[in-house]
Amino acid sequence: MTIIPFPARGGRRYGGPVVTEAMSFEHEQDDVVLALATRLVAGEETALEEVYDRWSALVHTYALRALHDPHDAEEVTQQVFVAAWRSRHTLTPSPAALPAWLVGIARHKVADVRAARARDAARLAAVVSLPGARDGDHQSADDDVAERLVVRQAVEELPDPRRTIMFLAFWEEHSHAEIAEKVGLPLGTVKSHVRRGLMKLHQQLEGVRHESR
Amino acid sequence: MSHADPEQLAGLALDPSDGPADVREHAETCPECAGLVAAFTGVRRRAGADALVPPPAGLRDQVLAEVRAGDVPTPLARPAAAEPSARRGVPLWLAGVAAALALLAGVGLGRIGTGSTEAPEAVPPPGDAGTVVAATALTALDSDAERGKASAVQTDDTFTIRVSASELGDEPGVREVWLINVDGERMISIGLLASGDEGEFAVPMDLIDEGYRIVDISVEPDDGDPTHSGVSIARGELA
Repeated sequence: MTIIPFPARGGRRYGGPVVTEAMSFEHEQDDVVLALATRLVAGEETALEEVYDRWSALVHTYALRALHDPHDAEEVTQQVFVAAWRSRHTLTPSPAALPAWLVGIARHKVADVRAARARDAARLAAVVSLPGARDGDHQSADDDVAERLVVRQAVEELPDPRRTIMFLAFWEEHSHAEIAEKVGLPLGTVKSHVRRGLMKLHQQLEGVRHESR
Repeated sequence: MSHADPEQLAGLALDPSDGPADVREHAETCPECAGLVAAFTGVRRRAGADALVPPPAGLRDQVLAEVRAGDVPTPLARPAAAEPSARRGVPLWLAGVAAALALLAGVGLGRIGTGSTEAPEAVPPPGDAGTVVAATALTALDSDAERGKASAVQTDDTFTIRVSASELGDEPGVREVWLINVDGERMISIGLLASGDEGEFAVPMDLIDEGYRIVDISVEPDDGDPTHSGVSIARGELA
């Protein structure tokens, strides 16, 4: 890891070089995702493989939390990526679009499974005279789960040292000073990473929220 | 002052006392910047989720195989809507069979209507060869009214459920025969009373062992839905 010197100039500003470096890898990341989305829309199968490798854990975990059944979660995951491929032309490539779009598809698949469960339960209840298992409105709980998972996934794919810094700050709740000591970076650099990381997560979440409307 | 730098607003979201005084003041009075600080604060609260759980290793190949096999122009909504219900309900091919049988039943009725007295060939007379291993009287659900009988018959290498029902009413729709598991959680369709009130249905012997012992006859409207209509007209538990 390169240690970027804390700039002497500029009073309260947290480091020109830091920000420049931060911006450049952010832009790189965005460009990679954008290019991936564009290739998917164009029908490149390798793009689907990359999309799967990058976001299948997100989709699978979402389905698992929503359905509480490993088999159903697996099946939904498969359906989501097959559907993603078949409806790839509905994706508008942008840096935050892919996970949001996949979560959007996953929402529908989860709803299908729930509807099927509710149908089964209702039929059976009518036939066997058992009280029907109800399946109420899960939407807001699902949205919360989706957003938390998108945040987790987005942090996991941040390049280090930002990834480590974000985990230390948000998961282990260390102070910026503690993190600076731990990772051996100046306090200003750590702060800048946390702030820009937060902005990145905000960008990803906006995509998800937009998709759910 | 123009709007504050989002990065400084992110700093305020992380620590309200952090940042230049003019930025803090601005964020207190400018609704837009205050909104962004609130949004960042909300994002911060979304952190903390447990690690993601990757799907099983084999799933990737399944996805790619399905994509390669089925990569033909498909109307988008169809596979999405059809897959889960088909999996959980009766397979689509069986729904097709049901439709065909319903058609046959209609033809049969037509023949009866024109005065034919031939017995339907598809239904062998019940009670011939084989050993009855379990039987039950069928009754209505809302009363003890008799609705015929059902038996489980074992011959050399086959196992069949024989249904000889009566007074099933004239509600429109086909009569479908189901086995309901005594656990009250599972059921399976074994076929249709294609003609009249009698039918014989070969089933895997395992079903009975697994607890599928309640014989149920339903009225199924021609609505394209292969699951149980919820309208049962006769039932009995094989014992």
